[in-house]
Amino acid sequence: MTTELPLADVKAPVLRVRDLKAHFRLNRFGVVRDVKAVDGVTFDIARNEIYGLAGESSSGKTTLIKTIAGVIKPPLEMVGGSVQFDFLPGYDAVHRAPAELVANVRWRHLSYIMQGSMNVLNPLRRIGAIFRDFAYRHLDGGDAMFEAAVVAHLARVRLDASVLKAYPHELSGGMRQRVTIALATICRPDFIIADEPTTALDVVVQKDVLGMIRQIQREIGSSVLFVTHDMGVHAYVTDRLGIMYAGRLAEEAPTREIFANPLHPYTKHLIASLPRIGDETRRQSLEGHPPNLASPPPGCRFHPRCALAMGICKTTAPQMVTIAPGHRVACHVVAMGAAA
Amino acid sequence: MSALLIAEGVSKTFTRGGLLARDRIEAVRNVSFSVGDSKPEIFTIVGESGSGKSTLARMILGIQAPSSGKLIVDGLDVADMRSRTKRHAFMAKVQPIFQNPFEAFNPLKRLDRYLFMTARRFGGATSDEEAQAAADRALRQVGLSLAEVQSRYQHELSGGQLQRLAIARALLSRPRLIVADEPVSMVDASLRMSIVNLFRDLRDTLGISIIYITHDLATAYYISDRLIIMQKGTVVEAGDARTVLANPQHAYSRQLLDAVLLPESAAARQPAAS
Repeated sequence: MTTELPLADVKAPVLRVRDLKAHFRLNRFGVVRDVKAVDGVTFDIARNEIYGLAGESSSGKTTLIKTIAGVIKPPLEMVGGSVQFDFLPGYDAVHRAPAELVANVRWRHLSYIMQGSMNVLNPLRRIGAIFRDFAYRHLDGGDAMFEAAVVAHLARVRLDASVLKAYPHELSGGMRQRVTIALATICRPDFIIADEPTTALDVVVQKDVLGMIRQIQREIGSSVLFVTHDMGVHAYVTDRLGIMYAGRLAEEAPTREIFANPLHPYTKHLIASLPRIGDETRRQSLEGHPPNLASPPPGCRFHPRCALAMGICKTTAPQMVTIAPGHRVACHVVAMGAAA
Repeated sequence: MSALLIAEGVSKTFTRGGLLARDRIEAVRNVSFSVGDSKPEIFTIVGESGSGKSTLARMILGIQAPSSGKLIVDGLDVADMRSRTKRHAFMAKVQPIFQNPFEAFNPLKRLDRYLFMTARRFGGATSDEEAQAAADRALRQVGLSLAEVQSRYQHELSGGQLQRLAIARALLSRPRLIVADEPVSMVDASLRMSIVNLFRDLRDTLGISIIYITHDLATAYYISDRLIIMQKGTVVEAGDARTVLANPQHAYSRQLLDAVLLPESAAARQPAAS
């Protein structure tokens, strides 16, 4: 066990997040109340990998990606730590870089695939015009070259050139989501943030769309931060996986490793409770419910629901420690077991 | 003992447009099945969005009338709900649980009001004390208590707690049948199995049959006794849940089963070439 190196050994990461703290600061009659949605998260994302982020609602995963993307509006505040992209050197958060620089970086280096494709695609513009809005300024060449590039790229997600003439409502949900994937990847960005890109889709379509995201990612070599609460999706598409609980990372490891050998009690529960076809044994459910982040429990935030909780868990927050190469976990019980 | 719910050739057609450009959408086509033939059971309706499963649920609940065919719940014809007495008798027997617990409750209304109202209207409570006692009893059956929800509002409880509350409210009328439309898709992963397990317990201890509507075959396998698989308004496969899912016959069933993302797929995949 090495406590000196609390990070997975990632060479030349595209994204470095260090001790990131993003709070919702509510000021009522001079009384400041912090909702600690993200409270000390540290991780790296390497080039050409899909990094999964799992966690339930109110675990802070959406706040985390908002902060990483630099979309920070009051009452959300980044109160500590840094978010460094290798294509934006010298700035410790996207929203702290000058606007003109960020305008060149967005979509060219950093793009997004969002959950509701209908919210991304302007309903009053044809798909072709939307591509122009997003990508034209970032691609070299004239109109004809741009058109050819878009058509060639749409073929990657098995869409015909005719969709360029269609309005978003004329396409099915699966086609729209494929359009947003094409839109997010056409500039071959270094980094893509995918926020629950398939939750609104049907199961059959979902698998198809996930396969496409993976295929395009391999082709263009982008890094993807893939956020979803669905562990089945993580198993299918991600290379490494971070598990969030109540605003902190509980565990991080290669996806294979985390499914084969989960260490944190919360991760263990998440994986053990997945129902499987062909297995009828009763699944246990966790007692209690996720904490209110306005007044999280002291110490380890999982301890009120944890069967293994000891005295120290109630007072001291566990630090991330590396248990095996690339496998980090924040749990006193696991750390002690590894030290012994 | 006759079946609790009998559906006979139920169809629902929606028409859209005016005189010249009329569009007909057959949401449900000639669906027949029965639930709870001899003992209480969990009956699952599986299908993608647009397969007509929610329309079917709305017809069973009497919210929408079928275009043709018959629905009979415990001897009562769902179409014959003209009088208030009949309607209330029917509502007491069949209770709904909806997909999104955050939308099912009015955010400005205290949650216990829902329980007291149902207890008075369908649970036979005649005084505040009786209503409170009934509410507490129902809440305890789902692992909550009145003390936890009294004078609370929707935003103060988690999705799992709200969904339990919705189930407790449904239990107040001592129903024979609960229609649950995607009841766990909005509930957090760590709380999801507690709701699913609760359905099993309701069937086993209270003898309530449950129509469980989902697109998730893994939970369907876990709790259902029998299931039907719907595609574009028609039933493509029906039968015992284990048999159907172990050996699906229809091409669409196989496609659905193939699309289930298993945790094991992580081990089968090649790591990234970096």
